[in-house]
Amino acid sequence: MMNRVLKLIALIAIVVCCLFPFWWLFVVSLRHRVDIFSGPAAWPSNPTGENYTDLFGQYHMGAFLLNSLVIVTASVVISLLIGTPAAYALARFDLPTKLGSAGLMSALFVRMVPAILLVVPFYIALGKFGLLNNRLGLIIIYTGINTSFVIWMMQSFLAEIPKEIEEAALVDGDSRWSAMWRIILPLAGPGLAATAIFAVIATYNDFLVALTMTSTPKAQTVPVGISTLIGKIQVEWGPMAAAGVIGAVPIIIFASLVQRHFVRGMTLGAVK
Amino acid sequence: MTTGLASTPVSGMDAHSPRRPWDFDRLLPYLLVIPAGVALALVSVYPIFEAIRASFTRYLYGRPIGSAGFSNYVDVAQDPVFWQSMATTVEFVVLVVVIETVLGLSLAMLVLNEFRGVKFIRLSILLPMTIAPVVVGVIWRLIYSSETGFVDPMFTALGLGAPRVLSHETSAFVGLVVVDVWEWTPLLFLICLAGLQSIPQEPLEAAAVDGAGPIRIFLNHTLPLLIPILAVGVILRLIDAIGTFDQIYVLTRGGPGTATQLISIYTYNTAFNFTDYGHGTAMLIALLVFVSLLILVAVSLMRRASQRTS
Amino acid sequence: MIETPEDPKAVSRRNVLRGVGYGAAFAATAPILAACSSGGGGDSAATSPSPGDTANSPSGKIVIGSFQDPAMKPFREVYVKKFTDQTGIQVDYQETAYDTWYQNSKSDGLQKTGAYDIYVMDDNWVPEYAAGGIIQSLDKLGLKVNPNILPKGLDQGYWPPRSGPKLAAFKDATPELFALVIIDDVNLLYYNKTHFSTPPKTWDDIYTAMKSKAAPPNLYGWAARGVKGNPAVMTYLPLLNSYGGNFANEDWSPGFAGAEGVGALERLLTFLPYMSPSTPEMDTDQETGLLLQGKAMALTEYTGTAVSAVDNPDSSKVVGLIDFGATPSQVKAGPAIGTFICGIASGAPNAQAAKTFLEWFTSDEIQTDFARNGGSAAVTSTALADSEAVSKYRWLPAIADSVNNSVPKPRTPDEPKFEDILGTQINLAVIEAIAQGGNYTAIATAHLKAAADQMTAVLDQNKAVYFG
Repeated sequence: MMNRVLKLIALIAIVVCCLFPFWWLFVVSLRHRVDIFSGPAAWPSNPTGENYTDLFGQYHMGAFLLNSLVIVTASVVISLLIGTPAAYALARFDLPTKLGSAGLMSALFVRMVPAILLVVPFYIALGKFGLLNNRLGLIIIYTGINTSFVIWMMQSFLAEIPKEIEEAALVDGDSRWSAMWRIILPLAGPGLAATAIFAVIATYNDFLVALTMTSTPKAQTVPVGISTLIGKIQVEWGPMAAAGVIGAVPIIIFASLVQRHFVRGMTLGAVK
Repeated sequence: MTTGLASTPVSGMDAHSPRRPWDFDRLLPYLLVIPAGVALALVSVYPIFEAIRASFTRYLYGRPIGSAGFSNYVDVAQDPVFWQSMATTVEFVVLVVVIETVLGLSLAMLVLNEFRGVKFIRLSILLPMTIAPVVVGVIWRLIYSSETGFVDPMFTALGLGAPRVLSHETSAFVGLVVVDVWEWTPLLFLICLAGLQSIPQEPLEAAAVDGAGPIRIFLNHTLPLLIPILAVGVILRLIDAIGTFDQIYVLTRGGPGTATQLISIYTYNTAFNFTDYGHGTAMLIALLVFVSLLILVAVSLMRRASQRTS
Repeated sequence: MIETPEDPKAVSRRNVLRGVGYGAAFAATAPILAACSSGGGGDSAATSPSPGDTANSPSGKIVIGSFQDPAMKPFREVYVKKFTDQTGIQVDYQETAYDTWYQNSKSDGLQKTGAYDIYVMDDNWVPEYAAGGIIQSLDKLGLKVNPNILPKGLDQGYWPPRSGPKLAAFKDATPELFALVIIDDVNLLYYNKTHFSTPPKTWDDIYTAMKSKAAPPNLYGWAARGVKGNPAVMTYLPLLNSYGGNFANEDWSPGFAGAEGVGALERLLTFLPYMSPSTPEMDTDQETGLLLQGKAMALTEYTGTAVSAVDNPDSSKVVGLIDFGATPSQVKAGPAIGTFICGIASGAPNAQAAKTFLEWFTSDEIQTDFARNGGSAAVTSTALADSEAVSKYRWLPAIADSVNNSVPKPRTPDEPKFEDILGTQINLAVIEAIAQGGNYTAIATAHLKAAADQMTAVLDQNKAVYFG
């Protein structure tokens, strides 16, 4: 009995620790600038929506959201289109072993290398092609990075699908190509979903790459937009908190909806 | 990857018909791989070459003005701030990974069983990981900040002195560790949960029947099966932690003093704010070598993990 | 040799799948097309100036880029439009975060992408941009300088500098104007007049007042920016300059580790018992926040807070109570000057129109207007003395006073690095001083020496650039 009470207390404490910071962010986003400096409050004494209106008016949050939406959608979709076939090839065919494992290794490499290592060369390279501060430039980079991730994850999902299913179809007269579309793709559905989820979250949240490659609301994404509120001299606390809330909400909703796939994705991906 | 192409019946062709030198099915795997290969080459090979080239170049006012030989590397090796930020990074990374692993494992065991509300609890635990690191930085800056935050008034209300987390070197470093733990323990939690859920129960039950206590069961049966998976997560987290940037950028910019100046912040400042591409890229290449070694370890661990569980 | 006939069902299924594939590809490209058309094109297209643009009457369009700052608000909201109304030249004004703008303007200039005509810069970028050919000579463009512009503000735009240490490669070059000042952002003394019987003029005045009146934590005697790097340096420079010390001497050697420099830092440290213990983490927002909440007696800061916040009930609880002066003196007053300064990009598509804009904005008429509507830090003596403006905005004479007494920062592209070095040591000194509560001379000496050593190391590493 004592065990259960302790466990309950522990769980409550954990949930509070996890969620309280979000609550704090929300509260600050509703306070007037002059109030924020006069001390903390559990709930604002005179709440205001001006931080949010400022955010979309003066601070271009609408543009940031649009950019993020476009860039994330395009790069994740393209990377799935490019990466899944490649993962399929690596999982199924005996490419000359060097090529196969070299492919896998470089896919891993790009995924694992911290962004800071890639940012400077990317900057110089994009500069050469005039693709700085440009949604297309960001899409290209994110597609490349996501492709490696897609290959890595899909390769293990696809390898789980028993060869017999395909072989049966081939015996029946299907070509490899149509077998791939007809049979493998539906079975790989959950894997695709899990991969897409992780790719969306990672791309939406990326900061460093977007920060260095963009300079105006023409191409800046939500995380970068949030950081622009930290100026050289001023920090706009109220709008910054509001921006934090706006930045977090889409992902929180997304995560709640796909919670199921998270664990399944990790199970399939990590264990194998 | 057991049977190769040669042994599978090729569609549309009788086994006795002459093979055309290029038939679609033979080429298919290569065709499938090429677009991805190009994409990967663009984002990995090209930038790395650029970085290596830049690290051997001398820059003045942002323009390349000729070869620097190894002088950039020599300068970096002699730069005490570089080594200091590497040391700070190592300290930070080891600390957070250890704490997150222990905490993640404990949490996973706590919510392993299904009970009412477990879904909500699991979601709550996961949330910090899903939001952008920039937002995490913003949240915790608002909490730690002396004049506007939560920490100082709370401590004062409890009768303790206000810690002023961001005003002292040690407390700022610890504060940063706390932030990282809050943000990334969910990842280790998730990995452990998945691992624990995939462990077959019968051997555990058999051991319990045999009279083994819960600790013994954990050590002898659960942990060994968990370790391969855990290792993957730990290495992943280790590598990611080296690149921690966003939260620091928002919280402290590397201060107070150099207490939170990890290698990522220092490199960023050098390359961009001081426009020192030559030295900046030399630092990056040095870091790259270091991380590559870690990746090799990670890959071999993962190979062993997959061998063991298949 | 019988070829298996194509299964009709497989064909149609294949067609469907192909269609789906095309559809998916199209769905993916649609965002790209959207990206290209609305967001993508700008930076890669460098429009070369057509003959019409460089004709005698400038026309067409100019693009101005800047970093975000409250001081740019009138510029952004009023004057850009006014220029178009008066001259017909279209203006596209863009703003982004300070760090990002620094990188982007630099790369635009280095690659000559021509995305901007005018860069609004922080004054310590001028050496790098001028020496690196990122901005072009305004003298060569034929820009006519308004003689009423305060000389020390104007000086910021010359390369090589008209005074102070010069880089080796430019030692004998004639100073040319490369950038034109548009806002004289200078350090001011802000003080709450309820705590001062007479306007404080010296550091002693400040210290006497805080010793008798300050009551931490409800009322601090002084507020300062303590964050490492540039903020800490900006806190220190008014002190250093007023003690007669230099950031860099004529031969580039660090000038802050000697008696004057130590004295200046020591003075700051002696204020610490009357300051917030959170000083090491405070930046402008928190520092001015204390003043605006009525919790601090005085501070030194740039003009931005005066213009936008002190009399604004949305942000201030001390409306009407703050007065201004030049930063306190020791042997002299020595505010640091940090102008907003405009350069014309070397690759500017429409340099003539850009020149017209700069001449227009710094003209007496517009500058007086600038001062009258909002009390911005205008750059001409006439604007800052205009009776109508001064009656509404009492800080304008203080700005003129400060500019005329100001001391520039060392003019070198490495200046940000020097600021980082010095600023880190000052931050550490403040932390140590708070912890020890005394021993200020030793702390100041040790940290300034450390900073001087590091700065010397950087100078040595770049011998050729500094000493030839």
